Amino acid sequence: MSRRPIGSRVEINDETNDIAISVKNLHKSFRLPTERSFGLKQAIFNRLRGIKGYKEQKVLKGLNFDIKKGEFVGIVGRNGSGKSTLLKILAGIYYPEKGEITINGNLVPFIELGVGFNPELTGRENVYMNGALLGFSNEEMDKMYDEIWKFAELEQFQDQKLKNYSSGMQVRLAFSIAIRARGDILLLDEVLAVGDAAFQEKCNEYFASLHGSQTVILVTHSMENVKKFCDRAILIEDGKIKDEGDPKKVADEYIKLWKQG
Amino acid sequence: MKIPRVLNRRNRILLKELVKTDFKLRYQGSVLGYLWALLRPLMMFAILYIVFAKLLRIGGDIPHYAVYLLTGTVMWSFFTECTSQGIQAIVIRGDLLRKISFPKYIVVVSATLTAVVNMLINLIVIVFFALINGVTPTWTWLLVPISLIELYTLSLGIAFLLGAINVKYRDITSIWDVFIQAFFYAVPIIYPISMVASVNEFAAKILLLNPVAQAIQDIRFNLITKETITMWNFLGNPYVMIVPIAIILLVLGFGAIVFRRKSKYFAEEV
Repeated sequence: MSRRPIGSRVEINDETNDIAISVKNLHKSFRLPTERSFGLKQAIFNRLRGIKGYKEQKVLKGLNFDIKKGEFVGIVGRNGSGKSTLLKILAGIYYPEKGEITINGNLVPFIELGVGFNPELTGRENVYMNGALLGFSNEEMDKMYDEIWKFAELEQFQDQKLKNYSSGMQVRLAFSIAIRARGDILLLDEVLAVGDAAFQEKCNEYFASLHGSQTVILVTHSMENVKKFCDRAILIEDGKIKDEGDPKKVADEYIKLWKQG
Repeated sequence: MKIPRVLNRRNRILLKELVKTDFKLRYQGSVLGYLWALLRPLMMFAILYIVFAKLLRIGGDIPHYAVYLLTGTVMWSFFTECTSQGIQAIVIRGDLLRKISFPKYIVVVSATLTAVVNMLINLIVIVFFALINGVTPTWTWLLVPISLIELYTLSLGIAFLLGAINVKYRDITSIWDVFIQAFFYAVPIIYPISMVASVNEFAAKILLLNPVAQAIQDIRFNLITKETITMWNFLGNPYVMIVPIAIILLVLGFGAIVFRRKSKYFAEEV
């Protein structure tokens, strides 16, 4: 099997450097299975007939940008524009195919809330599991345990199984754990829209509090949030940067793009 | 560029929590709960004991044959559980892999460690039965961990190798299931190796070069009775005795290389 060339993703910790994330000429494509190419039989069959069994789809086509320390940057784009792929590459989940990524500092990604949540476990058990995924030890979790439940306003459900929670309750719990994580850089994907109006208000307060001190990258569809929280915005369209700069300007550009359909 | 430590703090925390939840989930919703970790091999032992020791009357001349048999079945269960859980680990935890970045081997190690915990619990049962049966403790009991580490290392190597391939070709899970059923009869668990040796000595020697057989026979020798035939007292040629260790190291080395290479794409392919 031919190997795809590999770009690099390097984590450094350089306090004198004021760039938090640097992305240079980032490319990524996926191999999408064409017919059913899962399973050994199909693989052998494909090989014998010289069929590749997959189609190469280019998702990111050469991105370049820097994010400074302390900046709150919004990444916007339509569905399928490649913004989630970008986030996953920044988070180290996908490998860059080409290009260089430098992460300066400790990066905490939230691609999704409640990663590792298991419906068969109790709320309590899930909190510790989720905490472990964020890098917290049991002792550290013990200390913030009560606070998490208080923030989520779910104290009375601690020992119930997660499958008995409503989806809104699950997200609230997940969010309450997530905001305890302290990193130099936060990656957030569409996690703003959680819970009911009152809880949203709480979340917004939290995001506002991050502004100015914390490096944040926020992927979102909400232009309102982009304008409210971001210092800068990047618009991605078809795997390339279409516009970059002032959040208001980029948000307008996005809406124009969206209206074109 | 700094080289990340293999088991840094975050990975250790994660590993511990994964093993804990695996264990909890496995026995959840069952009345007897954790007792099943003990009951399963005991029941398998009861079946084998009735069929092979009582009905077919195999192994009559081996002292403490019941415990001898139990040791074999427990170690075999350990090997099968360790490998099949390990092979499936990446696919089962695919959800996690797609959402968060962490060293992928942790998932495999955690799945196999659950099997280790089960095995250690069973080992206590074996020791208990051995003492009841009149086996006298000797210093060779201290050698048992060496064989356990051998078995674990081999299982881990298999889990890395086949688990990495299983992400794309799910057939591996089924193939391994069938393979292990057949493999069971190539390991002297239900039949004593002396039975094979009396028919064909060469075949018995070949069987003992299988690391699983070698480790299980060593455990029986060190734990239960010195009348056990092991590779060390049966093979004669000291150079050939490297074979089981070589197989284990090769499987682990090769497995680790393949896993490392493929793990870059687990999140995309799983």
